Amino acid sequence: MSEIVVAARDLTRDYRTGRARVRALRGVSINVPRGDFLAVTGPSGSGKSTLLHLLGGVDTPTSGEVVFLGRNLARMSVEERAALRLNQVGLVFQRFHLLPMLTALENVELPLAAARVPRGRRRARAAAVLDRVALADRLHHGPGELSGGQCQRVAIARALANEPALVLADEPTGELDRATSREVLALFQSLNAEGTTVVVATHDLELAAGAKRSIEVVDGRTAP
Amino acid sequence: MLALNSMREFRTRPLRTLLTLAGVAVTTAMLADMLMLGRGITQSFGELLESRGYELRLTPRGTLPFDTEATVPGFATLRDSVASVAGVERVAPVLAASVTVEAADDARPSVEALALGMDSGDQGLYRLTEGEMPRPGEVLTDAEVGDSLGAEPGSVVRLRPAGASGAWGRRATAQVSGVGEFAFASRGDLQVVLRLDDLQALSSQDDQVSFAMIRIGEGSDPDSVRAAILARIDRVEIVTLAGISERLDARLSYFRQTALILATVSLVVATLLVGTLTAVSVSERLGLIAALRAIGLSRRWIVGGLAAESMVLCAIGGGIGVALSVAVAGYLESILSDFPGLPVAVRFFVVSADSLVTAFALLLVAGTAAGLIPALNATRLEVASILHKEAP
Repeated sequence: MSEIVVAARDLTRDYRTGRARVRALRGVSINVPRGDFLAVTGPSGSGKSTLLHLLGGVDTPTSGEVVFLGRNLARMSVEERAALRLNQVGLVFQRFHLLPMLTALENVELPLAAARVPRGRRRARAAAVLDRVALADRLHHGPGELSGGQCQRVAIARALANEPALVLADEPTGELDRATSREVLALFQSLNAEGTTVVVATHDLELAAGAKRSIEVVDGRTAP
Repeated sequence: MLALNSMREFRTRPLRTLLTLAGVAVTTAMLADMLMLGRGITQSFGELLESRGYELRLTPRGTLPFDTEATVPGFATLRDSVASVAGVERVAPVLAASVTVEAADDARPSVEALALGMDSGDQGLYRLTEGEMPRPGEVLTDAEVGDSLGAEPGSVVRLRPAGASGAWGRRATAQVSGVGEFAFASRGDLQVVLRLDDLQALSSQDDQVSFAMIRIGEGSDPDSVRAAILARIDRVEIVTLAGISERLDARLSYFRQTALILATVSLVVATLLVGTLTAVSVSERLGLIAALRAIGLSRRWIVGGLAAESMVLCAIGGGIGVALSVAVAGYLESILSDFPGLPVAVRFFVVSADSLVTAFALLLVAGTAAGLIPALNATRLEVASILHKEAP
């Protein structure tokens, strides 16, 4: 049986909006084994992003627990969880969130620099990862000089820089056209085929269909 | 790398960056100028005193040289007592009195001048620039007196105590021996020098002096010599140069307080400016900051990057401000040099590396600290909430 990268048990997450309390997740439990490519689908506001944030230790559950490579995230401090994300989790956002004035290479170097990888090694590693996402000829281009699909590939390269155990992508094709979305899906499939564990939150049915498996979240619950 | 991103972003918002740099530069200049103003008069007056080569002053009780018209009577005896104190090398008495000076041919209007009665060779208060030192029956003038009266070395002038009627009481005719520059003259002050005996006779102040300058021997301690003189003579004041500076300092305390308040205001303005800019900059990038936190960058890393942004703004603006402060100090000095009652040689603004470095360092620390606050606040926000809000 494959090693479980991340396991969520009976997760609930409440948010306060004004005086009202909103329950975004209601008792969700999932296991993500190594090498998995899981699509989390569901309509907007169903709790997909919340689930992703909890799995990656970006957020903490109101109840339930997340165990990442055997470590219970609830027992870790904020900075310990940040260090875990830096080294073990690659996050990809719908809006890329690249530093606008840095080049593609520098953006990918960022998590390596934060992980105190020496300059020479991080340069080489960042260039290699950008080559892996087919951007070897765009190393010194800034986000403003790249297309949306290229920016997302830079963001994926940044997520892969520290060789994470898990890549979490939140609506990675949300800002992309159909053709570019397919390129991103192909990239995720290719990375997964090489052994990278991927969890994607999406309402893009084509992307979901391209995953190994999918679960649907509706009103904060996983649909049967 | 966050700092690198910020530096490059400055170029994309040139107006905002320039306005901020201008604001920081102006406040730094004001801060540095106020620091210079706070110290300038005391420092430059101290330097002026020290440059004269006399370490002690003997004055009537409770006064300073040129302070009042009070005099020390019976000075001849006093002088001998002072001169006999161990460590005293020379005693140079000075009598100051207002006089009217006229050209002998009455060709030009008379002028009012401050006459200094001194022994020959004592140049603690003036410097000979032309001609010779005054001998008995001679007078040395400053350039303005000479110009006003059309007098030059060799000319003859008449002197009388200022305010004496046209039917002169005591008066003297004196030949101009030379021209000098007067160290303690205020702008517009006219000064002449006579021999002490001549001025005492002219002003009916026999055996009186306004003050005396005392030179002490090499290796002697001014405070010890002062104490030794006072142990022997208690009817006068003996003041060290440091004591004069302290008294001047006390009299100018309102200057320092005003300068301190303005310096503090400058610092607060600069702090608010940089803090506001960083707060705006941070609020514009909350989503990005949350994303960076999400990918695992530590709070320290992000705060450091944002603080570096403030620091660079302060460093560049502060550097410009320091240069600006020197120019502004020069301009203000030209205005304030007409300040009444202060010697022209005394400067309000003494440009010193100490003041400039202090202003720059204060600005840098305060500005960086101001940038830290919004940066720290940003990293304390809930990352997931911001990412949710940022999602389309």
